[in-house]
Amino acid sequence: MTSLLNVKNLAVDIELGKSEPLHAVRDVSFTVNKGEKLGLVGESGSGKSLTALAIMRLLHRPFRISGSVSLDGQELYSLNNKEMARVRSGQLGIIYQDPTSSLNPVFTVGEQIIEAIQLSEKISKADARTRAIDLLAEVGVKDAKTRANNYPHQFSGGMRQRVMIAMAISTNPKLLIADEPTTALDVTTQARVMELLSRIVEQRGLAVILITHDLGVASQFCDRLSVMYGGKIVENGSIKDVISNPLHPYTKALINSVCTVDLDVTKPMIAIGGQPPVLSDLPTGCTFHPRCPSANTTTCVSVTPSLEMISANRTVACDLIKTESHLKGISIA
Amino acid sequence: MSTVKTGGTDLFRRVLKRPLGKISFTFISILFISAIFANFAAPSDPNELDTANIFSKPSLEHLFGADDLGRDVLSRVMHGGRISLTIALFASAIAMIIGVLWGFLAAQIGGWVDEVLMRTVDALLSIPIILLALILVAALGTNVAVLSIIIGTILSPATARLARSAVIGELQLDYSQAATVVGASRLRILFSEVLPNTAPVLMARAVICVADTIIIEASLSFVGLGINPPDASWGSLTRTGYEQLFNGYWLVLAPGLVILLAIWSFNTLSDQILEALDPRSGK
Amino acid sequence: MLFSVSLLIFVVLRLLPGDPVSISIGAGHRGIGAEELDQYRTESGLNRSYSVQYWLWITKILQGDFGVSYFSGENVLSMIGGNLMPTVELTFSALIVAVIFAFTLAIIGATWPRSFADRMVTAIASLGMAIPTFITAIILLLTFGIWFPILPTRGYVPFTEDPVENLRLIAMPTMTLAFAAMAPILRMLRSSLGEAATSPWTRTAEGKGLLWPKIVRKHIFPNALIPTLTVIGITFGRMLGGVVLIEFIFAWPGIGTLMIDAIFKRDYMILQAAILFAAFATIIVNFLVDIAYGIVDPRLSFKNK
Repeated sequence: MTSLLNVKNLAVDIELGKSEPLHAVRDVSFTVNKGEKLGLVGESGSGKSLTALAIMRLLHRPFRISGSVSLDGQELYSLNNKEMARVRSGQLGIIYQDPTSSLNPVFTVGEQIIEAIQLSEKISKADARTRAIDLLAEVGVKDAKTRANNYPHQFSGGMRQRVMIAMAISTNPKLLIADEPTTALDVTTQARVMELLSRIVEQRGLAVILITHDLGVASQFCDRLSVMYGGKIVENGSIKDVISNPLHPYTKALINSVCTVDLDVTKPMIAIGGQPPVLSDLPTGCTFHPRCPSANTTTCVSVTPSLEMISANRTVACDLIKTESHLKGISIA
Repeated sequence: MSTVKTGGTDLFRRVLKRPLGKISFTFISILFISAIFANFAAPSDPNELDTANIFSKPSLEHLFGADDLGRDVLSRVMHGGRISLTIALFASAIAMIIGVLWGFLAAQIGGWVDEVLMRTVDALLSIPIILLALILVAALGTNVAVLSIIIGTILSPATARLARSAVIGELQLDYSQAATVVGASRLRILFSEVLPNTAPVLMARAVICVADTIIIEASLSFVGLGINPPDASWGSLTRTGYEQLFNGYWLVLAPGLVILLAIWSFNTLSDQILEALDPRSGK
Repeated sequence: MLFSVSLLIFVVLRLLPGDPVSISIGAGHRGIGAEELDQYRTESGLNRSYSVQYWLWITKILQGDFGVSYFSGENVLSMIGGNLMPTVELTFSALIVAVIFAFTLAIIGATWPRSFADRMVTAIASLGMAIPTFITAIILLLTFGIWFPILPTRGYVPFTEDPVENLRLIAMPTMTLAFAAMAPILRMLRSSLGEAATSPWTRTAEGKGLLWPKIVRKHIFPNALIPTLTVIGITFGRMLGGVVLIEFIFAWPGIGTLMIDAIFKRDYMILQAAILFAAFATIIVNFLVDIAYGIVDPRLSFKNK
């Protein structure tokens, strides 16, 4: 497996002027291999969207980025604006959470896709138009030829998301970032859009970073999972491993709190107690310790745990797990 | 509602804290003080002739030069401020009183009364202001009182519109509905609750009215349809300066600059009031 | 709308004190006896009730008869027609210049937000809104008429007669009017551009690989244009007022000059007609703006969905 995207020590700070900047994303590192589907999971405010935007270099003042993001060996943060723009049009694709506000209301859907295509390669408008129509048909827009001349407001939410998908893959990117693509949609449409995404990604062998807070969606789509909390990655592993045997207390709690069809309705739903961390007042040591059922008062409060390899392709950031595995002298997974 | 009174002075203080607020308020104060105390503050008697210095350039004796009769321009401008500012204040007062009543009535009564009142506003606003002013002056003549009334009346439709939308906005807020539930009469709600809350926006508008009046009066006087010599207002002084443009360009300097200063100050003050109202960005 | 405006104008004018007949005829210093005055009144219908007068006026207008100047006896419509061209030339050239400058400056400001250039742009807009037109005119007169005398300061020559001189003569009046007109348009457009720039679809555009200047021009501008069109309509209305002053200052023989003359002579027929025209023009322009809205904003032209 060749690595396509390599994120190392990525940090995103929010500058507030006179006061101390907020640390929204802290020391995040991960890799995505060619054709691999990585899920980035976490609750709102965990920094997952900011990580995605930082990869695409779409964060400007007052955000400050440090660390390294390299795509296919090329360090993205060392490029100038023009070069980065070319990388975006040719190698990256992104779909956003809210398809309604993410499409320009005064241009037709067709025009917007054609624009994307023409940015990435030299192609005549007519040819680009044909490609656009084919793409629209491929994502499930009926009457693609006529519909290409319609404006975004003439489509339903689910349809708009399909249009965004068409636009994102129109340039044949190597990596597709999907930032909560189904959050704004109803459940039925969600399923259909994820189905479409799966199909397209398989066909084209795209690498994907799927950002979501929905473990269910992630488990059906992704190959690997990275769990984020409070701006840091707390667990990494293959989707099967993480879901069936979560190691980090947060991951455990997340999986326990998922509603399934056969849940016992007489018992109360399990939620994670406490509140998500406030960026201006981050806990010391391990960010999760205030809400962690197994936190101890010495290590967890003072030492910030780093991602440690527990076994092959499995990393966790938790000192308790680390100690446990050292004590046992064997790998846990 | 004890918050009402402190709301007013608090807003005032907030405006003065802002740098532009300080500057504009200072300029306005200077303008008013020099006008009120013109008799003491002016370097010379505005009507005193100094025939040796006709059309003289700005000098120590005449800081902004002397006009065609040797009169000190600066003194004339300071005295002129009396007329211009008097008109400005009266006209704004008239515009606000008429406009607020107009708008409040329309908002409160609603229905076809609102329709008629607002259609009238629209019709009046579709006639360019200067044209309206010209006609009314043509018919009614010009002196300080008439001019104030005319300009005030012309500026009232725009005020009415603003007042009406401000009231409608407030009436939709919870506290108005709550007051109705408690049993307060509509008139009482209007005057004791809504009015104080719309006061800042109306204040900002009143300040703009002052600026607009200065512009209109100056424009009218400039054309000869406002204040005419021997009375002097900033506008008529600019006109005299303009007529003598080829004899001495500095004659337009003093009145022109004063007009600009006044307009800028009042416009800025109004902006600062509106910005100080807006709770965002901690400015 | 037009109806209410005409009613308003009529009411306002009739409320004005002074018997128009004796004033205007008296102003001509023609020794006329009381009998002839009465006869004139009857002919003009001035001794009938107000509502009848209004009715007569409106119906005549609809037939294209705007009456006859009390003062000179000329047909009002032809008098207005004679002075129409210069005003139209001036107003339209000023509007075009204003729009070009406003658009260019606003786009520059939005492409480099918060830069020195952007702050200059905002300052220019504020300046334009605050300065009365006659002061701008004086400044221009001083600059190009006295200190660096390269332009003539008053007069008019039709374009067809002498295009170069026409352009030289129209330069200062146009600049004066355009500066005042440009300001509100510039302010509205710049703030709309700023607001639209925070929309999520600008991020989409950047994500596709577009650079910011192109995003401002191609994506943000059409969206920001929408509220700006209203301001352009309103500004046109105010220009019709400002043009009167400017024609006076630069001795430009247009409707404005006609009006000022009419005011001094109390020639109400002309004033009525002139104001009606001005209001009419404003209403038409605003109507065009409404149409333009429908063209520029696709959400408005589709009634369904």
